[in-house]
Amino acid sequence: MTEPKPILRTHGLRREFVTAKPLFGAAQVVRAVDGVDLEIAEGETFAIVGESGCGKSTLARLLVRLIAPTGGEVWYGGTNIADLDEGAMRALRRELQFIFQDPFSSLNPRMSVGALIEEPLGAHGIGTSQERKARVAELLTRVGLRPDHADRYPHEFSGGQRQRIGIARALASGPKVVIGDEPVSALDVSIQAQVVNILEDLKEEFGLTLVIIAHDLAVIRHMADRVAVMYLGEIVETGTADALFARPRHPYTEALLAAIPIARTGARRASAHIEGDLPNPIAPPSGCRFHTRCRYATEICRTDHPRLTGSGAGQVACHHSDTLALTGLADADTDRPAAAKARFALYRDAQARKAKETTEP
Amino acid sequence: MTAPLLDVQGLGISVQGARANLVDDMSFTLHAGQTLCIVGESGCGKSLTALALMGLLASPPLAVTGGRALFAGQDLLAMPRAELRDIRGDRMAMIFQEPMSSLNPAMKIGEQIAESVRRHKHVGYEPARARALEMLERVRIPAAAQRLDEYPYQLSGGMRQRVMIAMALANDPALLIADEPTTALDVTIQAQILDLMRTLQAETGAAMIMITHDLGVVAEMADQVAVMYAGRIVESGPTEAIFDDPQHPYTIGLMSSMPSLGAHRERLVTIPGVVPQANDMPSGCRFAGRCPFRTSACDTPPPLEDFGGGHRVACVNAPLEASRQETGT
Repeated sequence: MTEPKPILRTHGLRREFVTAKPLFGAAQVVRAVDGVDLEIAEGETFAIVGESGCGKSTLARLLVRLIAPTGGEVWYGGTNIADLDEGAMRALRRELQFIFQDPFSSLNPRMSVGALIEEPLGAHGIGTSQERKARVAELLTRVGLRPDHADRYPHEFSGGQRQRIGIARALASGPKVVIGDEPVSALDVSIQAQVVNILEDLKEEFGLTLVIIAHDLAVIRHMADRVAVMYLGEIVETGTADALFARPRHPYTEALLAAIPIARTGARRASAHIEGDLPNPIAPPSGCRFHTRCRYATEICRTDHPRLTGSGAGQVACHHSDTLALTGLADADTDRPAAAKARFALYRDAQARKAKETTEP
Repeated sequence: MTAPLLDVQGLGISVQGARANLVDDMSFTLHAGQTLCIVGESGCGKSLTALALMGLLASPPLAVTGGRALFAGQDLLAMPRAELRDIRGDRMAMIFQEPMSSLNPAMKIGEQIAESVRRHKHVGYEPARARALEMLERVRIPAAAQRLDEYPYQLSGGMRQRVMIAMALANDPALLIADEPTTALDVTIQAQILDLMRTLQAETGAAMIMITHDLGVVAEMADQVAVMYAGRIVESGPTEAIFDDPQHPYTIGLMSSMPSLGAHRERLVTIPGVVPQANDMPSGCRFAGRCPFRTSACDTPPPLEDFGGGHRVACVNAPLEASRQETGT
């Protein structure tokens, strides 16, 4: 294979949570992440998608050991961080950073923005005090804020600006891998676009590997090179974003794509929506975990657990993936009429002109 | 054409201590059986509009400063509270974004639905409970008879939203206001709820105002669309007109800043800056500060002008093609 070498690799990764411990009898255990094998290549944007409770946020935290796994391995380069001691892990955190979803609760309200961004530099003993101050100013500029914002406090900023601060803080220590847990989902569309662009620019500039956790499939379609789809603690399909969106191979991926409301008229398709709710993760269904909601399920799906098979380019865990012809999103589904596209072009041009005027007076 | 079910003219909402109205000169009409989507970003006044119509504004500090909202001929904004209470939950009902915080956690869901039936239809315990069961079945809650005696915490998010819908529709309202009804839900559950709302609306013939920030939801649900920015409608009209022929720079900017689901991955277009606050609201077009097409003409408030077929746009530079030629740039 000519693929770039993996920077992060998991093997049989598991995490259980005890949800209730009765006085007598066995504790109730949720297997939030249940036997995940992943390979994330250096320099790519890798997205993990799934609905609430599928374990995607737990998986993200396991990848940088914000929480410890119950079992399995997480290889960062040649190090298995799953059984690294605290001191060694702390040193490694310089290279593995995390951006949280909620910019309102992930920044200490009593620290100034400058102190917040400088904190990881101090923690890792990077630079002198003066160098650190200069680095903070530079980072603020990079994420589209001003150096004098360093003296202000988080409450003085809007949601989009706070997420920029979160990004600047994550980048401060010069990480190689940045993991974003729903980094733009709390933001309005126009602000979301600004933050998505910043993430993409910074990824390019610093040669980052980005792992994005999201439920918004449009954001993932836009940002990701490769995608993994999770359902009830397991990965059910992986593939390049292009292939997975155009030709899904797992019925759950097909159902996710069919459920996206598309912002164009005439896109209202025949409802091929999956029925029912997510099953109780404490007692997941036997066999294939998706069989209770799958319209293609047969007897084998109720009894046999399908394994994730295939190459790094694309894997699927479905008994019927070879015979099913599933529907993805065709370009025609998302295309807009000429009049609308002409206006979008006008807007794009006008804005580019305006941006030029303001930067080159 | 028959008279509209709801006719809102010049609605204004203010908050104490702010110079500009949070909702300003808002006008729209809605006919029976139709869905109007009000779309805009946080703080644009879309939820305040809904709350004002329902008489649920927290006043003070919020207050309606003007306008009228004729609902089947009666002005909701001028109605005595007692009269409004009779209409609310009966002739018009509301679905909120967060079912968990809008349902009473200490009350069985069957009783919550039955309560409103008893209050408005003046029936006894048994008929009200029968109606609650019927409604749970209509919103396709499995094992509805058992669910009647369950509490909200025992239901999933999607099921709770179905209960909210059952409660809202229990008295066959003529108008349903839904404020971000699917925003808290996963995409597959959202698709189910939107399907359900369309089906029930076709069955009951109710009119619906749906408030959302999601243009995808708008395209799937709306007959009419009103795009709001900083308290004002900047563009409104039939759904096809808004999506196929968007005219206002804000509508265009909003649509092009959404990531596309198609294969081409251009850099996202953004709307630079943030929404102005009520205390430093521009006196002219409220979008001018972020608009790439701004001219000196934008310093006076632009009127909503008709572009034909009920498509109305509040921009002096629209259509943008023409204005670019005139200025020769």
